[in-house]
Amino acid sequence: MKKLHLIPTVFAMSVFFAACSTTPTTTSTLDQARGDFVAAQGNPTVAASAPVEFKAAADALDRANAAAAKKESLAEIDKLAYIAKQKIATAQEIAKQKQAEADVANAGRQRDEIRLEARTAEANQARSAADKARMSAEEAKAQADAARMQAEAATNSARDEQAKNAALQQQLADLQAKQTERGLVVTLSDVLFNVDRAELSAEGMRTAQKLADVLLQEPQNAVLIEGFTDSTGSSSHNMELSQRRAESVRNALIGLGVKGDKIATRGYGEAFPVAANTDAGSRQLNRRVEIVLSQNGAPIANRR
Amino acid sequence: MMTIKRVQMLCGAAVLLGLAACASDKAPATADVAVSRAALANATSAGAADLAPVEMQSAREKLMRANQALAAKDYKTAQDLATQASADAQLAQSKANSAKATSAADELQQNIRMLRDEVNRANANSTTQQ
Repeated sequence: MKKLHLIPTVFAMSVFFAACSTTPTTTSTLDQARGDFVAAQGNPTVAASAPVEFKAAADALDRANAAAAKKESLAEIDKLAYIAKQKIATAQEIAKQKQAEADVANAGRQRDEIRLEARTAEANQARSAADKARMSAEEAKAQADAARMQAEAATNSARDEQAKNAALQQQLADLQAKQTERGLVVTLSDVLFNVDRAELSAEGMRTAQKLADVLLQEPQNAVLIEGFTDSTGSSSHNMELSQRRAESVRNALIGLGVKGDKIATRGYGEAFPVAANTDAGSRQLNRRVEIVLSQNGAPIANRR
Repeated sequence: MMTIKRVQMLCGAAVLLGLAACASDKAPATADVAVSRAALANATSAGAADLAPVEMQSAREKLMRANQALAAKDYKTAQDLATQASADAQLAQSKANSAKATSAADELQQNIRMLRDEVNRANANSTTQQ
């Protein structure tokens, strides 16, 4: 093949040398054909993909060059050169066609690759959407669980509240609390104090403990502690004693954890008797401490 | 391939004709004109009339003149013109074929670009969605 391609070149050279001695025998068509051939030779795909046509073109150019070397008529040289030129162009076109066909085949492969890539991307997208859906489902479930737990907690706390109220009611009942218009009134009788003393007896302390329990459960409620005596003894002594007894109850409650600012005290002495001071039993009834519990945080009305 | 076979068959027929015509210039000239007519027909069926109009026009014109020379018993001119017409027709046919292949390749390349853009857009969308 290589040798074959050299032949026109050799001819071209021989023509060139001939031109040194005599007038050059060539035509513009032959020059053009030679130039085209060199270009076709320079493109390796022409010889590779159109070998038959390229050989025919080389042969045609050889014939034209031979005619020129033999100094045949310009018309004859032109005729052969034209054939060579067309055959060279044909070989080049066929090479171009083969190249384009190879491109088509390559493009098909490329297209398949892209389609595969697109399908992969779609699959990834679908998978991530599924992941997202699953995650949001899990999230929704977690929210539902949380809501249910909250509801259960609310139910439980409502139940606790109910139980607490019931317990409170029971404790108030134990204290023999009486519902009055001023609030709940618990009366601590004289027996809970030592005679003519302000200190609570052991029994009095137990009652104070029950009272403290109630007050600790109802921290918003205020307390007014009122002390009373019978009509025996001087009224100033009675006033002071009733005040001290009220204070004593207050201190006992503070000692049991009740906030002091919730507890007010008043001593009334022998005023507001609950019985006539005519006999010992009645006088004992009058010697007492009354504890008024405000309800729902309402202030305690003063005794009229 | 088909066209080459047809050309070969025509060549064979021409050779037989040549043998039958008993050695004058008439036979090879007639054969060359027949070959050139076949080449032109092949080029036409390849769509060269539209895709390589200059070469086709040249081939047609030379074939016509070759026929005229044949009729005038100018066998040398007829043969030359027929050979040139064949070269023109073959070039026209190869040009038509390469033009068709090139445009097919270009079209595919364009499709691939569009497909690639589409895929890239789809991927971009999916990444922004995430």
